[in-house]
Amino acid sequence: MADIVFWFVAFITVFSAGMVVTSKSLLYSAYSLLFTFLGVTGLYIFLWADFLAVVQVVVYIGGILVLIIFGIMLTNKITSVNISHSSMQKGVGAVVAIGFIASLGYMAISSPWLQAANTEPAETTASIGRLLLMDYLLPFEVASLLLLGALIGATTLSRKDEDG
Amino acid sequence: MSNLESLKFFWPELILSATALIAILSDLIYERKDSHKVSFWAIGGLLLTFITIRLFGGSSINGLFMGTMALDPFSEFFKILIVLSTIIVMLMSFNSSELDGYRKGEYYTIMSIMAFGLVMMTSAIDVLMFYVAIEIVSIMSFFLAGYLKRNPNSNEASLKYVIYGAFSSGVMLYGLSILFGLTGETNFFAIKNAISQLGPDSNLALILSIVFILVGLGYKISAVPFHFWTPDVYEGSPTSITAYLSVAPKAAGFALIIRFFNIAFGSNSAMGSDEWSSLNSLPWPFLIALLSAATMTIGNLVAIQQQSVKRMLAYSSIAHAGYMMMAIPVMSQSGIYGLMIYLFMYMLMNLGAFFVVMYVQDKFDGENFDAFNGLGWKMPLLGISMTLFMVALTGLPPTSGFVGKFYIFAAVIEAGNQYYWLAFVGVINSVVSLYYYIKVVRHMYFEGERSDIVSLPESKLTTSLVLVLALPTFFLGWYFSPLVEWANNSLNFFLGI
Repeated sequence: MADIVFWFVAFITVFSAGMVVTSKSLLYSAYSLLFTFLGVTGLYIFLWADFLAVVQVVVYIGGILVLIIFGIMLTNKITSVNISHSSMQKGVGAVVAIGFIASLGYMAISSPWLQAANTEPAETTASIGRLLLMDYLLPFEVASLLLLGALIGATTLSRKDEDG
Repeated sequence: MSNLESLKFFWPELILSATALIAILSDLIYERKDSHKVSFWAIGGLLLTFITIRLFGGSSINGLFMGTMALDPFSEFFKILIVLSTIIVMLMSFNSSELDGYRKGEYYTIMSIMAFGLVMMTSAIDVLMFYVAIEIVSIMSFFLAGYLKRNPNSNEASLKYVIYGAFSSGVMLYGLSILFGLTGETNFFAIKNAISQLGPDSNLALILSIVFILVGLGYKISAVPFHFWTPDVYEGSPTSITAYLSVAPKAAGFALIIRFFNIAFGSNSAMGSDEWSSLNSLPWPFLIALLSAATMTIGNLVAIQQQSVKRMLAYSSIAHAGYMMMAIPVMSQSGIYGLMIYLFMYMLMNLGAFFVVMYVQDKFDGENFDAFNGLGWKMPLLGISMTLFMVALTGLPPTSGFVGKFYIFAAVIEAGNQYYWLAFVGVINSVVSLYYYIKVVRHMYFEGERSDIVSLPESKLTTSLVLVLALPTFFLGWYFSPLVEWANNSLNFFLGI
């Protein structure tokens, strides 16, 4: 049963990711992205990563995707823009993609991955918090400077010209 | 070492982050026309950082902040290089007329944050830390590249930079996740210990992860085939930022490549002795050697065809990344310190060349070779300096460029006959590069009208900045032993944890 659900989730993820790239309308791409994100959430649940799964929904679907859709809808005429796929190079692309998938797939099957001990599922939130505030405190704090810089830069670039 | 104890070794970085905060706060005080005064705060903070880096110099501690940072003379060398180039570029920005009409407070703030990210890149010994540092640098450079928001070229530069940056850091993250899946560790030393336990059946995964990580790091140093963003970004950005992007992120990127590959994928004796080899005989040195040859060849061949001096310098900086990459696969101390010396010389001459381009662009409103016609007669100081920078970039003897190239080529030859081909490719490329560097000199002295009206740069800052860059470029070609000694002493960074 779990296998069937897994393959279903995996199929949805990959299929909708393909739709994101190939669909002719920007809006369809954005909506397909919704299913990709949902599928990834499912994969996280399969990995017992409860916190990541919730964050995936809250941040990616609730935040980023809504922002993208707003961006598309509020931008003039962008919904009717004809995205040309003239440079898609299907033949070469297919060869590269198949070669890539084959080598990655072979790698995934043949490599001796580190196996986590098969424990009962426990909640991960507490240990993530402990890691962030102890072992990885520095990257965590440095990320705040990154966000500050991103904010300053974004306001600088989007500010109206008269006062900037 | 615990987080609290590590803080007292962290003064330079703390001061640097405080600099960014003070810069953005002081921007609130100044009127728009005075907004360039923010730079005084930024430059002051950077000078203070410089002093504290020197004060804490010489000590070697691995594993600050629970094993995410290292403090050692190796990172000190790169930190000084980065802080110096940031100060020089900030001074250059005073003269830039491109930036007139924009608020400059944010410009200097973002530059300080970028300098912070670069400094973190040089001393990170944890995968998570180095990723955050790289992202700081990338995102800040997107803003700086697009700072001239009324200029379509600058917008294009920024957008291209974002797209390539997102793609390459995504690929790099995938490589890092493969590495984590095999080892379960994020610290470089722990990764090495885990890899040395792995059997040969994990080699394919390791090689793929190395290739993917090289995509992200190669993008930072603009190595072929991850260089496609370079010419457009360099052409569209404000020239001062182009100068900065061509020096500082490259220096930090090389520091990170050397540290990451030599710790995580180097054998146990790494850096402790004169000879060392790659772990589990993974072929990463050969991969980097191939990339190096491709980088310098393509950089040089395309540079020949350029009409714009700015674009020519962009391709030449790709070629220089290729020369510097030659020093990594030989895996010897002489290779690494050759690279460090080269980077120092490269900083001086490349910043100088871009400074002259910026000045010419402001004065004659063009950056093509024709804009340089007769410059040598009109402005002797700039003409002579530019000639010097061009000769140094080629790597001809009486200048510092020759010293840098000499040390790198010597290290490659010393490594034995397996890399003779690489040295050969390097020499051929240096000869090719002579053509387009001398073309600038030809335009300055032999084309256009020879005018007898000699004008000097009107501001003292311009004159002194050109001299500050040109004099060391010349004299370090004669007297370079202190620099060599400094680089040599900076190498003992492999203490183990």
